Amino acid sequence: MSGVPREFGRLLRAEWTKFRTVRGWTAAAIAAALVTVGLGLFSAAGSHSSCGTGPVEVACPPPPTAPTGEAVNDKFYFVHRTLTGDGAITVRLTSMTGRIRKPDVKPGERNLVAGVVPWAKAGVMIKESTRQGAPYAAVMMTGEHGVRMQHDFTRDVAGRHRDVSERSPLWLRLTRSGGTLTGYESADGRTWTRIGTASPAGLPRSVRIGMFATSPGDLTVTRADLGGTVAAERFTETTGEFDQVTVVGTAPGGWRHDDIGVTIGPDGAPHHPGRAVRSGGAFAVTGVGDIGPATEGMRAEAPLAGAPAGLVLVIVVAVLFVTAEYRHGLIRTTLLAAPRRGRALAAKALTAGLATFAVALPAATAAFVLGGRILRANGNAVLPVPPLTQVRVVVGIAVLFALAAVLALALGALLRRGVAAVITAIAAIVVPHIVATTSVLPESAAGWLLTVTPAAAFAVQQSVPEYPQMLGHYSPLAGFYPLPPLAGLGVLAGYAALALGLAALRLRRADA
Amino acid sequence: MAEIIEVGGLRKRFGTAMALDGMAFTVRPGLVTGLVGPNGAGKSTTMRVILGLDAPDEGRALIGGRPYASLREPLRHVGALLDAGALQPGRTARNHLLWLARSQGLPARRVDEVLDQVGMRPAARRRAGGLSLGMRQRLGIAAALLGDPPVLILDEPVNGLDPEGIVWMRRLLRSLAGEGRAVLLSSHLMRELEGTADQLVVVGRGRVIADTGVTELIAAASRGRVTLRTPEPAAAAAALGRAGAAARPDDHGALAVTGLPAERIVAALTAAAVPFSEVAAYRATLEQAYMDLTGDAVEYRGAAR
Amino acid sequence: MSDHPRAFPSKTTLYAEWTKLRTLPVTGRLLLASIALTVLTGAAASALVTCGTEACGHDPAEISLFGVQAGQSLVAVLAVLAISGEYGTGMIRLTLTAMPRRTGVLAAKAAVLTGLTLGAASVAVLGSVLATRPILLRNGFPPDPLTSGSMLRAATGSVLYLTLIALLSLGVATAVRDSATAIATVLGLLYTFPVLILLVSDDEWQRMLWRLSPMNAGLAVQSTTGLAALPLSPWQGLGVLSAWALAALLAGGLLLRKRDA
Repeated sequence: MSGVPREFGRLLRAEWTKFRTVRGWTAAAIAAALVTVGLGLFSAAGSHSSCGTGPVEVACPPPPTAPTGEAVNDKFYFVHRTLTGDGAITVRLTSMTGRIRKPDVKPGERNLVAGVVPWAKAGVMIKESTRQGAPYAAVMMTGEHGVRMQHDFTRDVAGRHRDVSERSPLWLRLTRSGGTLTGYESADGRTWTRIGTASPAGLPRSVRIGMFATSPGDLTVTRADLGGTVAAERFTETTGEFDQVTVVGTAPGGWRHDDIGVTIGPDGAPHHPGRAVRSGGAFAVTGVGDIGPATEGMRAEAPLAGAPAGLVLVIVVAVLFVTAEYRHGLIRTTLLAAPRRGRALAAKALTAGLATFAVALPAATAAFVLGGRILRANGNAVLPVPPLTQVRVVVGIAVLFALAAVLALALGALLRRGVAAVITAIAAIVVPHIVATTSVLPESAAGWLLTVTPAAAFAVQQSVPEYPQMLGHYSPLAGFYPLPPLAGLGVLAGYAALALGLAALRLRRADA
Repeated sequence: MAEIIEVGGLRKRFGTAMALDGMAFTVRPGLVTGLVGPNGAGKSTTMRVILGLDAPDEGRALIGGRPYASLREPLRHVGALLDAGALQPGRTARNHLLWLARSQGLPARRVDEVLDQVGMRPAARRRAGGLSLGMRQRLGIAAALLGDPPVLILDEPVNGLDPEGIVWMRRLLRSLAGEGRAVLLSSHLMRELEGTADQLVVVGRGRVIADTGVTELIAAASRGRVTLRTPEPAAAAAALGRAGAAARPDDHGALAVTGLPAERIVAALTAAAVPFSEVAAYRATLEQAYMDLTGDAVEYRGAAR
Repeated sequence: MSDHPRAFPSKTTLYAEWTKLRTLPVTGRLLLASIALTVLTGAAASALVTCGTEACGHDPAEISLFGVQAGQSLVAVLAVLAISGEYGTGMIRLTLTAMPRRTGVLAAKAAVLTGLTLGAASVAVLGSVLATRPILLRNGFPPDPLTSGSMLRAATGSVLYLTLIALLSLGVATAVRDSATAIATVLGLLYTFPVLILLVSDDEWQRMLWRLSPMNAGLAVQSTTGLAALPLSPWQGLGVLSAWALAALLAGGLLLRKRDA
């Protein structure tokens, strides 16, 4: 059996020699890398943003980040006091109301209607400090998603209750015991149901405890003039009315009010401020904003924009690598030298895949790193991405290139015609991605394209995950893919394996 | 029928390799001229330059005094066969000739005539991709004959033909020359031209080594040698030496005698009473004559075999 | 290569190139396939898009003619094969021996292709409009007379668009000679710009890229709504594509004249 690997190794070396000795192919492979990097840097160079404070344009401030490194939204109205050591807060939520700004009917006249958006939040919270991005846990009622316990921006657990009103108020409780925070809900304040526990990292002995309210903008997505879409958020606010507020534990002093993360307008006044009104033991807390991961913003993978163009070149080289043999009759020589045809094809595919990977990895790395620098230098607030995700994006793109090369090569062996194979490969891998992310297709069709075609593999470059607890424009147009990253690559790998199998079958059956 | 091919002072460089280095010759009507030389000697490049496909760095090639590219309906002046395999496989043989005919303003009837002439009528509606090498060669000849041209240029026309096909091709070429046409054909094998060519242009390393009639060439290579078979070579050599001739053993167990014509050799041997079985004037083969000529000009001797 | 270079093909050259393209089985198949692909893709896109009572933001003409974006790939293949098929087999030498006026050969190919694509594209566009109309009406799009000026412009413009794509592809294929490389170059050129435009966030850059993009600018001729927001008028957009096609043909023609065959 030791002969088989050695024989395969020889085949591999032979194929590698064939590949590298055709100058045009080496040049095209390098060109693919240059195109990927060049177009990526070009697109980064063409992306500027600045934030205006009055007449002065300044670089946008980086978004707050969670302890885990993701960019987050952390904007809410907080009525709180300091709790030292263990303790708990219990409230009764009697109502949740709000206002939503709809598109203006009369120009210049704000069209505000009563309503609560699905992910508006009102409830109790324990947070490390009033700093944006500080660790927290909260138990809340939401507009349409019932009771939730959330912590550290990305974690979300559903409770049991769906509604709140003055007739059927809702009791919420959050306790601290050492490093563990536990959330409870109750319909009557006597029988409590545990929702979940959280252990936010690095909670100090003294934390903030209190009531909060916040309401994310109402999202409308419209088509942009030059293709793509524009997502617009419109102002909303929500008010939670609390009474029977009790804090257990060492929490001296009175209630303090903080409008966490409020935007300061050009005139120095807060823009859409929140507020809290106290009457006796009852609080009406009104907030604008959201608490959760940030998914809108410049993506770290934006400089990989050149990948589809580079991929086209890779496809051409991979197809020619095999069809050129048919055109010039070299295939007979190849099969004389390696009569086990399936193995010869496998060696060819592996060579194409490895060579492509070797070219694509530095290209993707260069585009990602340098492009990211250019983006930041141009004042763009790039959504931060954890290091492991960065590695997955860059290596994933290189794997995508390698798998695409294998698929293209298999198509070349299957169809034996250069044009047919190139067209098929481009139509299968590149075009669905472009059509799904740039065209007039509705989102359902775009999502379907990116699930069933080999273009699903582009999911590997998505650096920001989709969060069910966040209202977002989760469509391919906004850089969200229907499949998880590895599943997307798996689809492409499946197609490549299938095509390779069919090609091997044809190679074995047909005369050379 | 005054059309001739004139090639003068052609030079062409591909990178560092000198493909043509002062190539010059003429092709006259009524003769089959063989352009012969080892692979890489510049035969195909010369033909491509004559046909206006490649541009020379220096020099010129004229057909009837005009550059090829200036000919109107050029296939009525020159018929060419460069690579019989250069066909689009999906098109039928007849349609292949049809578009060529259209390009020269020739009627479709002419297509059927040349198909008959090369014996391809039965295969006319077959796709070019399915034709055998021999059939493609015939189709290529048909294309060259389409415009009934006074000049024919054929690059290795017997390549890949079976013996029957080779005989057919020879007869066709002879008859075309017999009709007064100028025929230029190339080959890297001298024996392919034996019995076909009247005139030879021997080339090597991009230039002409010899430009001569086949008869003269063979005579020159034979150089008045006489082959003598005798059971007593030593006595014969001595007798001939006294008569003023030189005798050396050749490769075939006979003596090669130079310096005396055959009758004088017979007389000398008879006078010396040396027995002999055969005295024959030696006739060099074209191949030998060619090998004598090319000698050091053969650049790719190994590859030519 | 000729003493008197003439851009216009002689009648015999035209006739020869027409015979050549006509007698390749792949020509008819590709033309039929491009018509079918255009109409089917248009119908599929129309079936997927619905228009509410409010202004829906979708341009009915663009959706109706969406299939052009798919059909163009097959038109490009046909145009590429019209010349690179000859380079692939070596038959180009025979062609240039029979017709030494090389620019004339390219011009004849361009003329024959223009005729064929004009015909096929007319059928495809007409088919798309007729097939998608009932679907769009059912999906809530306002009825718009087929003969309205903007719809007529979108339809004729799409026919011209496909024809220009064929000429662009012919020019590229003449320049690069290899069929696979040529088709990839054309598709890369067509599809890379839209991606770049989306990924460049700066508005000025976006508009500049849009104006340069053969596909974006060229397809502007299909727009019937929101024209004011486009960086170029529909006909100017088609002009951009014409410039690309002309440049490709010129480059191809120059290389064809310069190079050894």
